[in-house]
Amino acid sequence: MKAESKNFDDSLPSLSRALAVWEIVSVFSSCLIVEWVVLAFAGKNKLIAAIPVLLVVALMLVSHRQRGETLRDIGLRTDNFLAACRLLLLPTALAVLLILTAAWLMGYPIFAQPWRARFLSLPLWTFVQQYTLNGFINRRAQLAFGKGLKSLMLVAVVFSVLHLPSPLLSVLTLVGGLLWGAVYQRQPNLFALALSHTIISLTVALTMRPGLLYSLRVGFKYFG
Amino acid sequence: MKIPPTALVHVLVGKSIAEALLVGALAVFAYLSVLPPHFHGWGELTEGGIAGWAVNNARPWERVGVQFFLDGTFSAIGVANETRPDVVSAGWAKDEWHGYFFPLRSLNVGDHEARVYALHDVGDGKRKTLQLLGESIRFNVDSQGKLKRIELLK
Repeated sequence: MKAESKNFDDSLPSLSRALAVWEIVSVFSSCLIVEWVVLAFAGKNKLIAAIPVLLVVALMLVSHRQRGETLRDIGLRTDNFLAACRLLLLPTALAVLLILTAAWLMGYPIFAQPWRARFLSLPLWTFVQQYTLNGFINRRAQLAFGKGLKSLMLVAVVFSVLHLPSPLLSVLTLVGGLLWGAVYQRQPNLFALALSHTIISLTVALTMRPGLLYSLRVGFKYFG
Repeated sequence: MKIPPTALVHVLVGKSIAEALLVGALAVFAYLSVLPPHFHGWGELTEGGIAGWAVNNARPWERVGVQFFLDGTFSAIGVANETRPDVVSAGWAKDEWHGYFFPLRSLNVGDHEARVYALHDVGDGKRKTLQLLGESIRFNVDSQGKLKRIELLK
């Protein structure tokens, strides 16, 4: 009996890792259901999307509670905001410069796309994305694979696949996922990540032609 | 960080079941909206063409729009609004005005296939779907222009 008990204790870390991967898969599949199934099948009745959204929010909240994570652990804090901003400053500036250079090379007028009212909700939307991506998925990826390239690649690939079938957004989010994930692993601050995400998204939306981006649409909505 | 208790596993299992049910329900809802199962009808070869009837059981007083395809190609459009008292007496319709007829003229000698479809609007007419009424009708045209049904062995 004692040996069996020891074996069970030994398997606890691997069970915990498996559970972390399951949590990532669960959140990922909910996002895919909203993007692809609900929008394809429910048509105008978009309230149905609230069901998987509520389920995923409930899962993340229960998981934080069950694992004993605090708001500070997740990255809802201000003490490391400047430190995180310092880490993000150079790559964000570089990303903006690269987007503007690419637009200039393709002959697009810089910041010439019309301003839309929905851009006002961009900071909130990027915050929600950063919370899900880093505040949850990155943390679970670190539980499963530890800090470093493995967990970062998982975060980036998940983020990129969720932006399919838009080829441009998929590539941008793969790079963005790596960048924001790496910064989060060093300085977990969701406000700084959301700020960087907002700046880059606005630059893309105001510079790239709508035909190239389909108004930043992803999933089934991308097709119209 | 604490090792999570089994409660988290229960939440994950519950969420998976709820989402599977949601996706399944959406798939059934979408199928029923696009291809509703309440169209009934039949078609047969007559002397001068293809005659039949079409009823929408969800709206029994509606006259069903029908499309006629000959050898896989769209040929004609019509409305099933001709008299068919036999359909009422057989209990398929509530009134007799559900018949259609598509004449067959100047066909090449040889085998042909006719299909009649019920037309259905989806999403306020943004999309239209077709559903086969009855079975496809295979027939032959001889050198004198006479039509003869080809019986298929099942």
